[in-house]
Amino acid sequence: MALPHIFEVSWPDPTKLGVDSKSAAILLNEARETLAGHLGVRSDEISFLGEPNLGFHLALSGLLSPGARLVYSNIDRMEIFAIAENYPNLQLATSSSGEIDFEECTTSDVVSLQLCNRETGIIQVGRPISCAELFVDATASGTRIGLPENWSAALWDSTSWAGPGGLGILAISKKANWKNPLPHLDGRINPGPTSLPLIVASALAIDSWVADEKNLAEKISAINSEIREYITTKIPDADLAPGGANHLISASFLYVNAEQLVTILADKGFAVDSGSACNAMNMQPSHVLAALGTLTQGNIRLTIHHATTFEEVKIFLEVLEKTVAELRA
Amino acid sequence: MEVLDCLGKRCPLPVIELAKALKSKPIGSQIRLLSDDPASAPDLIAWARMTENTVKEIGESTFEVTKLTD
Repeated sequence: MALPHIFEVSWPDPTKLGVDSKSAAILLNEARETLAGHLGVRSDEISFLGEPNLGFHLALSGLLSPGARLVYSNIDRMEIFAIAENYPNLQLATSSSGEIDFEECTTSDVVSLQLCNRETGIIQVGRPISCAELFVDATASGTRIGLPENWSAALWDSTSWAGPGGLGILAISKKANWKNPLPHLDGRINPGPTSLPLIVASALAIDSWVADEKNLAEKISAINSEIREYITTKIPDADLAPGGANHLISASFLYVNAEQLVTILADKGFAVDSGSACNAMNMQPSHVLAALGTLTQGNIRLTIHHATTFEEVKIFLEVLEKTVAELRA
Repeated sequence: MEVLDCLGKRCPLPVIELAKALKSKPIGSQIRLLSDDPASAPDLIAWARMTENTVKEIGESTFEVTKLTD
């Protein structure tokens, strides 16, 4: 998609008549086709959400018929935990290497499957899951991992392909037995309207992101290995969470205060996140790290971006090693 | 048994103080650690795994730690 003329004509409402509205409708349609194409779904299966996390409720509550059981895992997102409180449910444990055993699922269950864990990068793919309906949380995997064959509903976050924040994409399969959990009189899935500029920006972003990803996947994988190798061999008392996706790493350092570590790294120009309690609003440690048995103190979460270079990583790792040593002294 | 009271102290302080207290003790020593920080239960288990010591949660906010390595 090229940067369109619409940026200059004040975003008319695509549902109205008139020349500019018609061109807005065409643009929205193009954006929808572009996004659906990259996500591997039909364009009439997707809806846009102004609040991506609302998609967890829309998808799951719509799939859970009365009496159905929700099966999810202890490293799923907190939004899933909250929804599970309203239904019969089964929480599956994750092994210390990140595997979830879905054997206990029955063909009457609704299963929530997180393709990629956003904190650690743990990936769940491969084994087919037998269930009535399968919800796929693709918010962290984006376009990196395809949907399993028997998906019923799937949710993406536009930021996972470096698109704008505040835009979710919810797909409901034509084969799914899904009922809208929101009050509604027509066939729309969300009340809308969703920002056309965000949708167009997201479609532009996904095109260029997917092209870059093809060329850069090998570099990102090499950087991931380098970081893991360095932390394992050069920094004592470090605990790496199990991973899988090349762009994510979660590492914890014994006897280190994460808040201090994140602040010092930020001062040196490195933006990292943390799953440690001292860095969380509710002062609770990451439930993902706790479920995996990974150390929760002194935790940092790294995201390797397309633009990340080996040189930056080399400097970062030296700064990290030095800072961890200083904080322990 | 020696009691190390870390009630009210935030992560990572309880684990740091535990390691300090164990440093000069002979192998086989035991310490009862009191800590009500929500990170202490998962982190003491991880600490024990990483440092090859053992820890047992014996009651609310109460952990029994045995030093097995130097």
